Amino acid sequence: MILDYQNNTYTTVEPLDQGLWRIFLRNEDNLFCVEIALDVKAPALDIRHASLTVKRDDLGLVPDLSSASEKMVGVRVGPGMTKIVRGLVGGPEGSDRVAELVLDAMEMLINAITVPELRKATDLAGVQVELPTEGPKIRLNHTVINEEMALKMAENPRLKDSCAAFRDL
Amino acid sequence: MLQYARVKSVGVQRQGQDRRVASGVLEDELYAMQCEIAVDWPTLTIESVQARMKRFTTQRCPRAEQVFERAEGWKIDGELDGRIKKELGRYGCRHMASLMIDCCRTIVRAELAREMRSAREADPGLDTKSFLESFFERYPGLRSYLLLQ
Repeated sequence: MILDYQNNTYTTVEPLDQGLWRIFLRNEDNLFCVEIALDVKAPALDIRHASLTVKRDDLGLVPDLSSASEKMVGVRVGPGMTKIVRGLVGGPEGSDRVAELVLDAMEMLINAITVPELRKATDLAGVQVELPTEGPKIRLNHTVINEEMALKMAENPRLKDSCAAFRDL
Repeated sequence: MLQYARVKSVGVQRQGQDRRVASGVLEDELYAMQCEIAVDWPTLTIESVQARMKRFTTQRCPRAEQVFERAEGWKIDGELDGRIKKELGRYGCRHMASLMIDCCRTIVRAELAREMRSAREADPGLDTKSFLESFFERYPGLRSYLLLQ
């Protein structure tokens, strides 16, 4: 069957020099295309540079976001960012759609920072995954983090009860 | 060197007059997953959800798959994103929740685009704002849901 609509989002996170991270997100569907670039400085994870570029807007509803881009400088990736970003980028004078994508991009930095930690946990406490015998011919898991390590990780209040992996531990 | 990359892709099909199906995939360093959703149109009711965790970090992650079936019977409206995050993401998987939100939103954007294409074919000078107003009159629950601006 032929698809009649697609929505694609591609996000990358790259460490630059001296604690600077660059996040790049591109979202495109049949109606709209935007590119978001954020430079974020560790350890405070504050935005040093932001650009929000609408490449295509078939409905013609999204206003110029250059002023919102400038206001993003200083915003920190962390608690409270949702309300701040929605206030700066969204609303009647801005773009709620782009605001949600900016938040998505910011969240990807948190994921990027988490990758080495989870890799370390898998190396230290990896266990061969037990899966039902029936299923796909090729599986994408070989080793997962064991229960003991998952329990230890769930001591982090940010993770505790946050999903099926860290619930009821 | 790149530390992290995520790709999310959602495709939408129209299966007859009253069924829309989205298939979404998410892949990054940590996870690979897919989600298929069937929605009844125009009642905007989620008929069926199929979530599959393909690559994950803990033995417990696959338990999330069943949680997402709780959305069967839910309607697409302004409350949907919050429900998915709170009632499915926290008990299942927040990455799958993010993919499911994209799937539902893309189904609606696809319908909007499809109707707009037909309307433009019938009237090449179509006024976009008038078209959007008539779309939301037909689907009032979508006015607070679709982030068009």
